Amino acid sequence: MASRKRLLLLIRHSPYGSSLARASLDVALAAAAFDQPVSLLFTGDGVLQLLPDQDSAALGVKNPGRLLASLPLYDIEQVYVDAEAAARYQIDLNAAPVPALALDRRAISALVEQHDHLLGF
Amino acid sequence: MTAARFAHAALARGHTITRVFFLDAGVANGGMSAVFPQDETDRLQPWVELAELHGVELILCIASALRYGMLDETEASRYDRAAASVHPAFTVSGLGQLVDAAATADRLLTFGG
Amino acid sequence: MTLHTLNASPASAVFADCLGMLAAGDALLLLGDGVYAGMAGTGARAKLDACGAQLYVLRDDTAAAGLLERMDAITVIDFDGFVALSEQFPRQLAWY
Repeated sequence: MASRKRLLLLIRHSPYGSSLARASLDVALAAAAFDQPVSLLFTGDGVLQLLPDQDSAALGVKNPGRLLASLPLYDIEQVYVDAEAAARYQIDLNAAPVPALALDRRAISALVEQHDHLLGF
Repeated sequence: MTAARFAHAALARGHTITRVFFLDAGVANGGMSAVFPQDETDRLQPWVELAELHGVELILCIASALRYGMLDETEASRYDRAAASVHPAFTVSGLGQLVDAAATADRLLTFGG
Repeated sequence: MTLHTLNASPASAVFADCLGMLAAGDALLLLGDGVYAGMAGTGARAKLDACGAQLYVLRDDTAAAGLLERMDAITVIDFDGFVALSEQFPRQLAWY
């Protein structure tokens, strides 16, 4: 795959309310596996994926927190979070499963402009 | 239907569509056995035409497809299911197909809802 | 410059999230249940007018909703126009 395009994934869904949250992380891992530059932006209810202490064992589904923690291992280091959305839910970003840089509206607009393709989940 | 109609309009304007990737609940579009009421449009035909008349690849995400019971011949046999449920115009494959198409395309459009 | 497509009712959280992401110079195409956000005189429409993005509605979805005469200054487009917008804007983001 010689061609490269910068891909920004906007993660908008809570971890267990739909299968979209999981799909977005799978796309991130697939992009990394194919050596495509990928960035993640948690926004809206997507910031709920960044809550610490998630334990989904009793639900019988995978815990996205673990997957998030593994992102740096796949060289996915461009992880951002909508500061306003994180504040709305009082998310402690220092305790989040993956380090995420908080961005205000203006910085988010600039981030979007730096990417070739957007995928919203 | 919006996505299929957009695709036909894009072809009519001279664009090339490499691939349509169906994710999550979108994989239901590839169902072979859906029956539509007589006074409603057949929702499968526009996709089949894209593949058969215009060579557009139609790919169902394998993780989503298995979850929704959308199996092609290969997967039906692998998981010992009675019959395929996916129309032969569609292929079941991995997310790499989405990433690969995005890497070469000028535009990537998403349809949801 | 991003083309946003909104397919969700103005009562949904998706509408608010979309509104928050619209930047000056962006375009917003309302389709599906998103067309209700374009209804003239509503609070949702006032928010759209204030956001600074160019507004469009998809004709067939607007007609189905019975709203062709209630979109005031929003440009009504067909699928050919939708494709033209995707040519004009380098990237698209779907809200649903």
